[in-house]
Amino acid sequence: MANKEKEFNYKLYGTFAVLIVVAALVALTLFSYTTRYTALDPMKTAQTYVDTIVQSGDGYNAYKNSLLSLDSKFGDFIRVNYIYPEIYENYTPGSSTKDLKGLDDKELKGEKSLNDDGTLKGKVTDEMYPFFLSLVQANNGFDNYDAIFSGYVKKLKEVRKQVFEDDYFDDEAFFGAFEANLSKYGESLTGCEDEFDKNTGVQLKKASKGAYQSAFGDDYKLTVKALSASDAQVPDAAEYGIDAEISEAKTVKVQVTANDKVVVDSIDITVVKIGHSWYVANKSCDTSPLYTFYKVG
Amino acid sequence: MDEAKKKYMRKSEIFTFGIGLFGVALLTGWMPDYTQTFFADFAFKGKGFDSSVISTNISTVFLAAGIIGAVIELVTGFLIDNTRTKLGKVKPWIGFGSIPMAIIAMLVFVAPNTNNQTLAIIWMYVVYSLYTAIGCAVERPAECFGALCSPEPSERSSAISIASFMKSVGQSGGMVVVMVVGLIMKAVMGQQQFKNAEAQGLDLIISTAICALGFILFVMIFFVNNKERVPFTREKVSLKDAVKVVFTNKNLLMVSLTKLTGFGRGVYGTVSLYIAIYLLGSKDLKLALLLPMGIGTAVGTLLVNFVLKKFSTKQTFILFCVYGATSLAILYFVATGIGFRSALIVPFLVLNFFCGIQHGNTNVTPNIMIADCVDEIEWKTGKRQEGTAYAGYGLFAKVASAFTKALGPWLLYTWSGYLVSTDANVAYAAQSDATLNKFLMIYTIIPAIFVIFQGLPILFYDMVGEKKERIVKELMERRAAAAESTDAENAPESE
Repeated sequence: MANKEKEFNYKLYGTFAVLIVVAALVALTLFSYTTRYTALDPMKTAQTYVDTIVQSGDGYNAYKNSLLSLDSKFGDFIRVNYIYPEIYENYTPGSSTKDLKGLDDKELKGEKSLNDDGTLKGKVTDEMYPFFLSLVQANNGFDNYDAIFSGYVKKLKEVRKQVFEDDYFDDEAFFGAFEANLSKYGESLTGCEDEFDKNTGVQLKKASKGAYQSAFGDDYKLTVKALSASDAQVPDAAEYGIDAEISEAKTVKVQVTANDKVVVDSIDITVVKIGHSWYVANKSCDTSPLYTFYKVG
Repeated sequence: MDEAKKKYMRKSEIFTFGIGLFGVALLTGWMPDYTQTFFADFAFKGKGFDSSVISTNISTVFLAAGIIGAVIELVTGFLIDNTRTKLGKVKPWIGFGSIPMAIIAMLVFVAPNTNNQTLAIIWMYVVYSLYTAIGCAVERPAECFGALCSPEPSERSSAISIASFMKSVGQSGGMVVVMVVGLIMKAVMGQQQFKNAEAQGLDLIISTAICALGFILFVMIFFVNNKERVPFTREKVSLKDAVKVVFTNKNLLMVSLTKLTGFGRGVYGTVSLYIAIYLLGSKDLKLALLLPMGIGTAVGTLLVNFVLKKFSTKQTFILFCVYGATSLAILYFVATGIGFRSALIVPFLVLNFFCGIQHGNTNVTPNIMIADCVDEIEWKTGKRQEGTAYAGYGLFAKVASAFTKALGPWLLYTWSGYLVSTDANVAYAAQSDATLNKFLMIYTIIPAIFVIFQGLPILFYDMVGEKKERIVKELMERRAAAAESTDAENAPESE
């Protein structure tokens, strides 16, 4: 019996099983990676950038595909260049904040800050929205990020102080308010549906009609497609404050279509290659038409 | 040396059995939650599909997969009991099923590039049902192996308890994998590029590949090193026999009933987020809340092995039930005594550890009891039915889990009087003291009651003591006689 059992070579089968599974896993992972990760392809990078702006007017998150996010998280870019200088008096962008004492000191929190259940935070967000809207409109979108972020942080500090009646200020205050305003701005374009708490059925949000729906119909569909890419002049890395080598640049033509029929916009996006990844050279792009195309016709 | 105490397994086999179950749990523990996340958030991102339609279908996908899983579980159990190969009874299922299982698990995370919502939904149903089916056909045999690893009950018990411990560790292994994958991706890609990749679910895809790799590697180590040491019986098991054994063998039924009578033990999971928010002050403490309990469970799984050396399986099970109910009651009284304030955090988390210990019992002891029941069934009928016995228990567990999933939300959102926040700026509305107290009861007293209920069927369990010894001895004699009278080549892998 023992001899017959040896007919099946366990070790050989085990090795075969591991190898075949490894091969399948590597192939499937590489396939997923190359199809999903947009930064490996100049056209996909440009298309993602435009699509983020077009679908909900979100020029803020679009920057996550740009050179502003090359070395660090985009959030850190904003912290370092716009928020920390407002929190710490002697802050130099790029330096550590560990030993600095600033407005994010918890001792500065007054009664209202300590006891807020979210109501006052919401009030700040609501009061900031008209200012947010005016910034986006005055700058024709988000291309002038410097004016938007610096203006917003300064105004937010004032509004927060009025509402909470203390000097406390931190990065969370910025991201909470700014992203909520951005979301509301997006809904003003896309509209929104009734929202109910899934457990209790309580209505949380009422349906509203957005500007896109008014322009293109209730069931509108905006499609963004990169059509072609051609070689472009390599921009100066110093202009973006980066010391990495830009090996290649391309201009990608991206088209926006409404309801698969009408071309509503067409835009050129410059992308650059650093290492194996492509990034949008945001300073070489004018995305302002992407914030107004729905108003035309 | 007494024949009944003879060692059949090599030391390495005890360890590699655990390694095998660790590997299986690494993948099966990872899949459900992360599949749900992948389907909901990443699979069809940017395709413009109706998110409410997709999320409704995801719930139905899991419901359908649950039903398919229950059916496949019973079918697999029946087929295992009719499998007689030179490799053994359950090993072929594990060895040959693991290749398609690893690949299909990975395919779950490779969504088709389609703009057709119907096609996308069909794909979710098909791929996850396929994974569930193949998963059942590998996971169940792997658990059955405990009943076949040794004919000697105490050696078998030790192997099962060590393997159960490693299985419970494996179930959380995916969380470590995704964390490490994230750290490596951040280091390689940079912070924002990692965030962009994460937004496409790429960290989940890579983590799945690693879990699947760990799965095949560990399962193959087990497959190569371990042998079935209990010879299978010759009699064919009919479908009628299979169904009958699940519902008519008293001891097996009692073990399975513990799942049903104790179904409400798990409702604490539903309320844990709210305990963290309202009683401990921060939703971030949910992980801190579950961590001591998880550690307690791991410790409890090891502890059971020691208790089983002193007490019978029946005594051990009841002892842990009494302990579990007591520890939960103590947690309730301490929490109400201190009040819902920051001073409660430390004692609450410490007591949470002690409450977790009881779960070690439910991870280990029933598996040992089922192996004993398989002996009893063989002794009574001449048919050894590991497959059906474990599948029957699994079926009861699935039904109990469905009850838990229904009871938990009802207790939380209806019975407790929970108020949902309607202010967009307020995440969690203030709750009355009565509601907070009910949260605490859902976390402690209600599970404690079900822990007691869970122990009740075991009072009628009698495959212990003299009866168990007698059955084991007689089975040994029968097998020895059978081995002498039949051609030894027909027996699988017995040494």
